[in-house]
Amino acid sequence: MSYLKEVLSSRELLVNLTLREVRGKYKRTVFGQLWSLANPLALMVIYTIVFAFILRVEPEPGDPSGLNVFAVWLLCALLPWTFFANVVTSGAGSLIANAGLIQKVAFSRIVLPLSLVGSSIYNWLFEMGVLLIVLVIIGSFVWPWIPLLLVIMFLLAVFAAGVALMLAIANVYFRDTQWFLGIILQMWMYLTPIIYPASLVTQQSERVGYLFGTGLTVDFIYNLNPMTHFVEVFRNMLYDNRWPDPTEWLICALWAVASLFIGVVVFRRNENNLAEAL
Amino acid sequence: MSDIAVRVDHVSKSFRMYHERNQTLKATIMRGRRSVHEDFWALDDVDFDVPTGSTFGLIGSNGSGKSTLLKCLANIYRPNKGSISHFGSMAAMLEVGSGFHAELSGRDNIYLNGSILGMSKKEVDRKYDEIVDFSGVEAFIDQPVKNYSSGMYVRLGFAVAINVDPDILVVDEVLAVGDADFQAKCMQKFADFKQAGKTVILVTHDMDTVSRMCDNVAWLSHGKLLEVGAAEPTIAAYLGSLA
Repeated sequence: MSYLKEVLSSRELLVNLTLREVRGKYKRTVFGQLWSLANPLALMVIYTIVFAFILRVEPEPGDPSGLNVFAVWLLCALLPWTFFANVVTSGAGSLIANAGLIQKVAFSRIVLPLSLVGSSIYNWLFEMGVLLIVLVIIGSFVWPWIPLLLVIMFLLAVFAAGVALMLAIANVYFRDTQWFLGIILQMWMYLTPIIYPASLVTQQSERVGYLFGTGLTVDFIYNLNPMTHFVEVFRNMLYDNRWPDPTEWLICALWAVASLFIGVVVFRRNENNLAEAL
Repeated sequence: MSDIAVRVDHVSKSFRMYHERNQTLKATIMRGRRSVHEDFWALDDVDFDVPTGSTFGLIGSNGSGKSTLLKCLANIYRPNKGSISHFGSMAAMLEVGSGFHAELSGRDNIYLNGSILGMSKKEVDRKYDEIVDFSGVEAFIDQPVKNYSSGMYVRLGFAVAINVDPDILVVDEVLAVGDADFQAKCMQKFADFKQAGKTVILVTHDMDTVSRMCDNVAWLSHGKLLEVGAAEPTIAAYLGSLA
């Protein structure tokens, strides 16, 4: 509780550091904030060409929205994913990037990774805003879902923040973390139903049946991935305009709480040693 | 108000001297251990009080533990043994301009740096004019700080830090910044500080500064406290040990 108080008392610092990231990031670029869209858009074009045009992945049309545009279907999951990946990558490097500050000034260290969560949220809100406009144009009835969309965005941000806190500490002790992370995120993305529908995995799973004589199926293991559930909720609301399964909500909320809890505990246990360990 | 501003109570601080340090996973797994180390005591049972309203100097040769003690005072390092208690708010100035963002303007950086040093936005608002005035960079305040000369940069950082206005100020060797004019301004600021009954703890190698500013001095050598007391005799003893 006293820790919560300490973090709350440095919220102004958190806001200022977040603004530092936000303002500093696209300074002196011609396109400014539009760069935040560049990466997901490039990925969208590549994946659409490769997976929709060449490999012919055909997700089912939105039910009940009736939408059938692969690029938009992709973006509904890709934008949450790139947000998550950004938070985790930048958060993991946040303590090392600010080593000088940590060694010279006493302040609540947790604001460093959290400020990167904040600045990523800012960029993400912008990206999601653009996506909402596109969705409205192509005829998705998204308006009633916006409050719930904000809830799931919050849950994903909490989940990502917890992971970032753990990795920020790990990276101080093992600099391998940041290099591992690049590979892991790449694998993780392909293990999440972003560029293909999860139904394909279910089909394969039914074909394979139980694994090695145990009661486990491919589908069960596949669903251990928290991002699968987050992506599903996003897509249900944005693309299908459908109420997501309450269990999916519950799973997302549990992952978010667990991740933040462990992240904060790990961070707290190590934060007093940071000035020496860096 | 108590007459002791800071109590350093039998403080010891050790660092690990690594003979082998495995900072990569591969090395850790291959060698089956994180590190091989022995403890090096940078501070060994240091014990003294700093009276309220005094200017207190820490002197000693390089490697005597002054900076470690300062970092313990500033709450950046935690002592292994003993404790440090302070009565009143404390701010540390170990480096000026920490956390400045090169692409942001002087104005933004004042707010940013102020909040890193623990000031609220309201406080910065109130002291903004004084900070800008003190730094002498008002003509360039809306320029990004990367275009500042190194002197301007340091002056702005110093101006923010000095305006945190704590009861106890901990200062590392940052006094040697700026030109003679600015230095005079800094000295004046410290004199005002003292006048207001505030406590300053400073580390410097410049014995002239110490004897001019300090009432009390602690002399550290190899992590141990050799002498603590009135400035003149302690400084004389220190200088005597060097000769």
